[in-house]
Amino acid sequence: MNWTCEQTEQLLTDYLDGLLPADDQHAFNLHVNSCERCTPLVSSVMHAMSSLRALPELETPPRLVYNILDATLGPRETVSGWAAFLAWVRAFASPKFAYGAVSVAATFLMVVTVSGSINWKKPKLADLAPSNIYRNTNRQVHLAYARGTKYVSDLRVVYEIQSRLRQDNDLPTNRENTTPESNPTPGRTDGSGPASPRQQNRANDVSSQLQVLAEEVPLLSGKLSLVSSGAVNLLINGGLGGR
Amino acid sequence: MEQDAQLVQQCLQGDGSAWEELVRRHTRRIFNICYRFTGNRTEAEDLSQDVFLRVYRTLGSYRSAHGGFATWMTSVTRNLLIDHYRRTKRDRATDSLDDAMPVVENKESAGRRPDEQALLGELSAQVQVALSHLSPELREAVILRDLQQLEYSEIQAVLAVPEGTVKSRINRGRIELARILQQMGVRPS
Repeated sequence: MNWTCEQTEQLLTDYLDGLLPADDQHAFNLHVNSCERCTPLVSSVMHAMSSLRALPELETPPRLVYNILDATLGPRETVSGWAAFLAWVRAFASPKFAYGAVSVAATFLMVVTVSGSINWKKPKLADLAPSNIYRNTNRQVHLAYARGTKYVSDLRVVYEIQSRLRQDNDLPTNRENTTPESNPTPGRTDGSGPASPRQQNRANDVSSQLQVLAEEVPLLSGKLSLVSSGAVNLLINGGLGGR
Repeated sequence: MEQDAQLVQQCLQGDGSAWEELVRRHTRRIFNICYRFTGNRTEAEDLSQDVFLRVYRTLGSYRSAHGGFATWMTSVTRNLLIDHYRRTKRDRATDSLDDAMPVVENKESAGRRPDEQALLGELSAQVQVALSHLSPELREAVILRDLQQLEYSEIQAVLAVPEGTVKSRINRGRIELARILQQMGVRPS
């Protein structure tokens, strides 16, 4: 079949859109590959087609949809006065807004309660003043920090005492293991021997002095008695160990 | 398509939200056809608005049995574009190809290098200029086939011409476009 340049031009779209029968397509290819006129034609049309198809789809201009709706359905109704106010209030009645409002209120109440700004037995409006809330929150934070510091400090003292007691308990054992004691001292903290009468007398003396002091200061009596008994034990077991 | 027909029915029963949905579904496509035909954003926006206005007024004349709503809308668009072309023919300046200054488009070309992006933007602008130099009959045929990717039967329904004429216009439009691009110095790499 003799394929001509006119046929190529006429059936170019059929060829490019894949509508050409197989035989014609074969003849088309044979002709185009050997024709100096048709090769650049097909190439340039294919390029034009691909350039067209590569053109981007533009975004819709932002106002176009609203302009169309205004032009067809008419401008949207605007309300004023009480109707506008009621519409505004109605907007807050949505479950989403209610949930958000409850969450915010709960968070606010938690913060205010924790900060100690409000005395719930005698609530005052002034408690809700931002300066009061800030001051009370600041105070609560400082108090919490001071308590924390004190607790850590107490723990450190207790640990110190415990470690010293442990150290004292360990010492004789070590000595026994290394060098035998020539003159074992009575009243050691390892419980190997009771306190000597002289040490016991001194401990009793300190205890009685503390009790006298507690009686003189009644408010501190409870604490002092505790302190005194603790101090006595400490003196007996550790402090007056005769080291 | 079935959804469009359903929305049209709802519109005819006075449902404003159904019309709004139809507008939102088709605005971008109609705007793109108008822009590629006129090459001017403002004109394309005004024409798109006119298209929807006419569709809204003549919605009762749409029959789903005669084809899809999108095809019917494209047909309305095409008629308005041709009217607009004829109306503004006298006012239009007869620019020569040499005077045509392509404007680089704002493209959706994420992920491309700046030099590639610039090249593609320039090519798009040149193709748009070349399109505007086609006769309206060839331009609309090429736009519907190669940009909107409509089937021959759909183009036949939109243009209301026989299939042979559709093929012939597309063929001549493509060859003419390639020739204009070559004249502009845009050649296949």
